[in-house]
Amino acid sequence: MLRPWPSGAVRVLCRVNRPFLARPQANPARFPSTRSLQSAATDRVPLRKQLKQEAKALKAQKKLRKESEEASRQDWELTVGVEIHAQLDTEAKLFSRAPTSTSDTPNSNVALFDLAFPGSQPEFQAATLLPALRAAIALNCQIQPVSRFDRKHYFYQDQPAGYQITQYYEPFARNGYVDLLDYDGIAPEDGGRVRVDIKQVQLEQDTAKSQEYPPATQLLDFNRVSHPLIEIITMPQIHTPATAAACVRKLQAILLACGAVTTGMEMGGLRADVNVSIRRRGEAPGQHRYDGIGGLGQRTEIKNLSSFKAVEDAIVAEKNRQIAVLESGGVIEGETRGWTIGSTETRRLRGKEGAVDYRYMPDPDISPLVIGEDLISSLTESLPTSPDSLVTQLTGAEYGLSIEDAKPLIELDDGARLEYYQDVVDILQSLHPDQDPQTHAALTRMAGNWVLHELGGLLTKADRAWDDTIVPARALADLVDHLQQKRITGSIAKQVLAAVFDGDRRPVPRLLEEDNLLLRPMSREEYVALAETVLAQRPEMVEQIRSKNQLGKMGWFLGQMMRLGEKGRVEAPKAQEVLQELILGKQ
Amino acid sequence: MSLLREAERCLANQHAHTLNAFITPLPRAGQWLDRVKEADQRREQGNPKSAVDGRLISIKDNICTRDLPTTCASGILDKFTSPFNATVVDQLEAAGAVIAGKTNLDEFGMGSHSVHSRFGAVKNLRRDADGRDLSAGGSSGGSAVAVAADQCYAALGTDTGGSVRLPAAYTGTVGFKPSYGLLSRWGVVAYANSLDTVGILGKKTSSVRDVFSILNKHDSRDPTNITSSSRSRILSRLQTPRLASRLTSTPLRIGVPLEYNISELTPSVRQAWLLSLAHLQEQGHTIHPVSLPATKHALSAYYVLAPAEASSNLAKYDGVRYGTRSDGPDSDGQPDGYLYANTRGNGFGAEVQRRILLGTFSLSADAMDNYFIQAQRVRRLVQQDFNAVFAAAHPFAAASDAVEIDRSTTANVDVIVCPTAPSPPPRLSDVSAGSSPLDAYVNDVFTVPASLAGLPAISVPVTVAESERNPDADEVAGIQVIGQYGDDELVMNVGELLEGRRLDS
Repeated sequence: MLRPWPSGAVRVLCRVNRPFLARPQANPARFPSTRSLQSAATDRVPLRKQLKQEAKALKAQKKLRKESEEASRQDWELTVGVEIHAQLDTEAKLFSRAPTSTSDTPNSNVALFDLAFPGSQPEFQAATLLPALRAAIALNCQIQPVSRFDRKHYFYQDQPAGYQITQYYEPFARNGYVDLLDYDGIAPEDGGRVRVDIKQVQLEQDTAKSQEYPPATQLLDFNRVSHPLIEIITMPQIHTPATAAACVRKLQAILLACGAVTTGMEMGGLRADVNVSIRRRGEAPGQHRYDGIGGLGQRTEIKNLSSFKAVEDAIVAEKNRQIAVLESGGVIEGETRGWTIGSTETRRLRGKEGAVDYRYMPDPDISPLVIGEDLISSLTESLPTSPDSLVTQLTGAEYGLSIEDAKPLIELDDGARLEYYQDVVDILQSLHPDQDPQTHAALTRMAGNWVLHELGGLLTKADRAWDDTIVPARALADLVDHLQQKRITGSIAKQVLAAVFDGDRRPVPRLLEEDNLLLRPMSREEYVALAETVLAQRPEMVEQIRSKNQLGKMGWFLGQMMRLGEKGRVEAPKAQEVLQELILGKQ
Repeated sequence: MSLLREAERCLANQHAHTLNAFITPLPRAGQWLDRVKEADQRREQGNPKSAVDGRLISIKDNICTRDLPTTCASGILDKFTSPFNATVVDQLEAAGAVIAGKTNLDEFGMGSHSVHSRFGAVKNLRRDADGRDLSAGGSSGGSAVAVAADQCYAALGTDTGGSVRLPAAYTGTVGFKPSYGLLSRWGVVAYANSLDTVGILGKKTSSVRDVFSILNKHDSRDPTNITSSSRSRILSRLQTPRLASRLTSTPLRIGVPLEYNISELTPSVRQAWLLSLAHLQEQGHTIHPVSLPATKHALSAYYVLAPAEASSNLAKYDGVRYGTRSDGPDSDGQPDGYLYANTRGNGFGAEVQRRILLGTFSLSADAMDNYFIQAQRVRRLVQQDFNAVFAAAHPFAAASDAVEIDRSTTANVDVIVCPTAPSPPPRLSDVSAGSSPLDAYVNDVFTVPASLAGLPAISVPVTVAESERNPDADEVAGIQVIGQYGDDELVMNVGELLEGRRLDS
């Protein structure tokens, strides 16, 4: 994210002779493809055969893994707790008026306090509390009337003050929960619903962004320093890797839906740590107790996981490592470990818990946070609908979407897709205010299909990111409306969507008019004439259909009718009807 | 005397003495000359900006100034200039005052003799009978000496545990530590935030009062600064007849804390204390013994709390964004060494390192409960002790706290009068050369309680006249007046009753 230094802005360029790194940097991901290309060259296996073999091997490996996972699950109980750090959607930093924008010139949004200048003092930005409270309310937490800020000390160049201001002793929210449902992707063995309790939610500062230029230079961008974060800590109540990943995904969806954050994991706005312990089933309970839950095994912590897949894979790997250690008579050390995407093992970052003593101290400059009941209740009232209620709503009678369509609509593009869908539905509603519920549901279902699959397909094909201005909601609504009213055919609708997608800005009704695409319905006579023409091409096939009831062959004639007929006029259902009638004599 | 004459005389004194009071003295020529001349004109026209218009005021070098370096007497900031002015500096300049330079101190304010400075020890203007150099007191020793040696009209210091009052006592000047939170700390380099207070040094209480009235305003940039509404609340309470009549129409009830009569008290200081009390009694005020039982733990609590906050506050000095950075790799020379070990090891002096280590220990997970938390409890007890003996209630005390105090059995005093330091200034050679740091810490025993409680306190010089019982010629001692929170004016007024008195036994 660091760019060359342009002139004119306030900036700090810091050179750090590569010091001892308290936190090792992530290794660049290794690409396994190098190996396979080499072997292809030496063994001269035909490419197609090689691909087949590799696919087969992968499948076998997956199966094996699944079986061994199931076997280890029988013997060992896994326990996982999750910690999420999420960048709040705020204008200003937590303790200064500097803007939070992450895309600006490095070191241009930095106040004196952000750089820990001698004599500077924190200025708590009360507005940062609003997204934090929305998150805590959405996570069903009890908001604490009084909470406090503490300093967490450690030396690292991305931490200018030598400490992070966080809420260690008295966080602003406690005792919440998140419900994970089957459609959230929890492991099948967890049943239909898992409730994960949230121990606490705390406000804290983000660190600076650092970039290493080996051998001896590090550039630091302090724009991110003191960006407000919330840390969400769940209880250790998760017992499968898939459910842990589902938990992180669900937490992200909730944070996005309630407007607490603007970006998710893929943009780096959300990071997860997990703590993992195992204990053998059917034996005496473990000796360890975390967050009030006892009988657990010694846990380790895996830091800085940046995707849902990484969460799941890292837990699987760590669980297997712990099992291997214990089964070979070893002891699990309480330590912090790291995970690199694509690897098969977690790696040790630093030693025993407690080896790092953060020397938490109440911040003597920052007064306690007093949160009034009135603020909580007004925020609760204005909170947007939760993802779970959205699913219920979208799959309900009003919208009639399938769960398979409802989920991606809610989750795609940080909720922007759903918003777009709602815009399309609103326009359709305004076009036909007095529609009966059934027609309305058919229309909303059709709109869902077009927003997700037709428009989604075009985006994928063009490899473009979501943008609600590529195809204005109005244009899509007009298309869906024309289609449902049977004023255009499906294939015309797709063609027009592609044209709009490629930049045709004419209003859809005008476009259809000007390009002569509106359906001029064919008369029955015209259908019959067209059908007779195509039937005459293959009389033997007509015979086969009649005598051997090979109805599948009807499709060929239908295709011919669509092809031969005047463009945009042949309606498939009507053509089908006429064909059936002529071939089978059915009405 | 014109302001220009006065300023030129101060300047001459700055350059004449070798007391090492300044780290950055006033340049001989500069824009400041014009500003003083303009102030002279305003004074002639009867239109001065304030009582300090055109006067030279020294600033302790841990208070940020945009135009002069701010070193905190530390190697780690030895070439540092702040990009901004502290609020108190802006306030003084807006009132027409001229910054007279930056004064020497114990590094980051940590010390009682102004000897722990990268720029060398400050010397007291006074010398002992053998002509040997004496301690100026610390940590605002440079500011106190600058005032004593007429190198400025008044000076700003900082007082965390007595750092303005102790040097005032040692140098024979007036040193005032206002109630915590009245003067802005924005731009004051933090040592221990919950105790740090900007203080004022002057030859007379009246000049201290002049400066105080300019600085005593709300500043939103300091989150611990008392809000305007709280200030009005304090003021309206002080205007109730019972409190307003003190010293004006009703005599004072003066408290004498029994616990302060310690064995370490030297005879001359005890004498000065007794004579001061006798003097006040002659004026018609009454003397009452009071008990402040938590006092004996106050010093220990202070030396847990202040280093704890210091170890946190000083973590920012790593030489990365500003300040002096050691050459070469900064990891102890080892691949597994500690980050910033060289820079911090070379940049900080021994006393600062000692307090950082103390604080790091007392905040560590195993020691936290037994040291930091325990010391906070002692701090609360010290506050309750004071609330129990003062007639005026603490303006911010919770109603529940107030109920606990049974007024009938307590002394109901208006102010407490006690020595500022247990002894006269020691020789510089004695405090510099290998004496135990604990000996230095004991000097703070009388000043620390008011700091822990955030109370206003002033040290004023009194002279004990030569006599048979007191063979030392005209011994000067600092007498401290402590008042209830917000009673800053009363404290200064009582100080003025004693200030400069030559007392015969």
